[in-house]
Amino acid sequence: MTGVRRVDVAVIGGGPAGVAAAVTAAEAGAGVVLVDGAPRLGGQYYRRPPAGSEQLSRGRRRHRWRAFDGLEARLEELVAAGRLQVLPGTTVWSAEGGSPFLLRTRGGDRDPLAPVGLLRARTVVLATGAHDRQLPFPGWDLPGVMTGGAAQALVKGSGVLPGQAVVVAGTGPFLLAVAATLLRAGGRVVAVVEANTPHRLLTRPSELLPGLGRSGQLAGFAALLVRHRVRYLARHRVLRAVGGDAVGAVVVARVDGQGRVRSGTERELACDVLAVGQGFVPQTDLAVQLGCPVGTGTDGGPAVTVDDLQQAGVPGVFAAGESTGVGGAELALVEGLVAGAAAARRLGLAPAVDQDLLRRRQRRVAGLRRFADALHRTFPADPGWAQRVDDATLICRCEEVTAGRVREAVTGLGAADPRTVKLLTRAGMGWCQGRICAEAVDRLCPPPPDPAAGTARMLSAAKRPLAVPVGLGALAAMDGPGPDPGHPGAGPAGPSAGGSPGPRPLSTPDQPRRDQEGPTP
Amino acid sequence: MPPEPMPPEPTPPEPTTPPGTGPEEFQVRLDGRPVPARAGQTVAAVLLAAGVRSWRTTRQAGRPRGLFCGIGVCFDCLVTVGGTPNVRACVTLAEPGDDIRTQQGTGWPLPVPASGTGAAAGTGAAGGTEKAAGTEKAAGTAAAGGTEVAR
Repeated sequence: MTGVRRVDVAVIGGGPAGVAAAVTAAEAGAGVVLVDGAPRLGGQYYRRPPAGSEQLSRGRRRHRWRAFDGLEARLEELVAAGRLQVLPGTTVWSAEGGSPFLLRTRGGDRDPLAPVGLLRARTVVLATGAHDRQLPFPGWDLPGVMTGGAAQALVKGSGVLPGQAVVVAGTGPFLLAVAATLLRAGGRVVAVVEANTPHRLLTRPSELLPGLGRSGQLAGFAALLVRHRVRYLARHRVLRAVGGDAVGAVVVARVDGQGRVRSGTERELACDVLAVGQGFVPQTDLAVQLGCPVGTGTDGGPAVTVDDLQQAGVPGVFAAGESTGVGGAELALVEGLVAGAAAARRLGLAPAVDQDLLRRRQRRVAGLRRFADALHRTFPADPGWAQRVDDATLICRCEEVTAGRVREAVTGLGAADPRTVKLLTRAGMGWCQGRICAEAVDRLCPPPPDPAAGTARMLSAAKRPLAVPVGLGALAAMDGPGPDPGHPGAGPAGPSAGGSPGPRPLSTPDQPRRDQEGPTP
Repeated sequence: MPPEPMPPEPTPPEPTTPPGTGPEEFQVRLDGRPVPARAGQTVAAVLLAAGVRSWRTTRQAGRPRGLFCGIGVCFDCLVTVGGTPNVRACVTLAEPGDDIRTQQGTGWPLPVPASGTGAAAGTGAAGGTEKAAGTEKAAGTAAAGGTEVAR
């Protein structure tokens, strides 16, 4: 068992929000540890190949990187001075207690028996980011269908194109960013298929103002698409992906404002990759574990509720970036600056925090948040999806549960919420712990009586005592310090060790009970 | 007016340097066959660059799966690496000599190592040698997958 590391501030997540928070808090005099799952800091937006593998990088660095570059230079100075420590390739899977908080970590997947790491932190900054939001359609489980984020991560992190001919589809400005990344890397984009009408954004000029920089960036993406003669199909939707062992084409059609297909507009686009996404889902697992209030964001997804100091409702816990509601990298970075300063202030390092600067940053957060909200209203994620989705469509990829089985649980067995559906069908009970299918299952359930009930049931499905799977062997070997004496009874909420005869290096809290060893005929 | 659908390019463009030869280049093995890799690439990127689009079958329907979320969230890209099953290909960096095995179902029991070394070391799967490979199917869904981005 490794020892417990004691720190003033533990920052979880190494994207723009986390790096900004870590640098700000450390410069104010706090002892900071920055924990990040990736081999190199940057998160999704500022993703790069690992250090030493820069030759994999594609295209010139964009000017938008300057803000992050500046932060990273300061971070390196702090690291050299011993005032900030970075733990790359490390994931926090449990967070509990009150100041000090106890965080448990694990490394990569290669060594599932590696001992659990422990951090005791006086304050915690959650900067855990988001992942692509998905609404299932026929064929979405075919190899070659992937999220927009996956296509971008391949190019940015490994210098590899996902395929020869890519259709980018779904909704939101991120589709343009994905297409631009692929084009700049020399890839071929067959079409961008956008379910909504982006020009509606122009009817909200006052909300656009704070996001002028980002609007300019989007205009640049649009120009790039024109230059590469990429078809931009607004108010179109992917009806299905087709192929045998992998995707070979997608069928798209023009849709009306409710997402209904206009008959006679169906057409097939040949491709070997479909990069798809409907916006993003904030990662709120650790916030929920810590008891932070989580509400519903403008885009309908979960969002950690924060005040103007990024305080997350539990004294000593701060949240910044996408976990507080999806808003983009620029907003994440400014929120991180505020959270880092606020964490330092809480530790009694207030004199080191410039109050005027803090207030300017708070105003910037509010402006960028308004812009993000305008984007969310312009690019809603297919409100009519639940009424249309076919019974045969796979909903839960992990446990292979179809829409028909979810509906059967709802209408035949009276399930009124995702948690009951999960118990009856296993939807959301697999490896990903419902991260991918949660919204789809929720939409297939009867509508909640009121918004508060909706948030409550979303949260009930979002409770994940282990934020990532942890090896049973690693859990069993945990003989080190438990939770603080002030927080009794809060042992590791591990999976039940009973009933599993063989070794199983990785396990989820909801262990699959069927041990099928191969494909069923 | 609906434009004509265009077929995908038939062949991937050649990398500008021969794979597996430069100082930052090395080989890994997929079900025993050599696959070129470059330092810093994830296992998923290496496989896609080699034209492999699927490297796992599901526990129940035996459906092929490959990369999906790409950032470690969905666990669809699970693969067996160095005898450890259920490794996320999208967040695991390839290392020289990696013994990568396509995975069926839960990944247990482990497949027989091709050359008498490698797999089944360490984690001690009971009866790990019973189920011989049979993993060709998933690897065989390759087709024209990803392309190495030319420098």
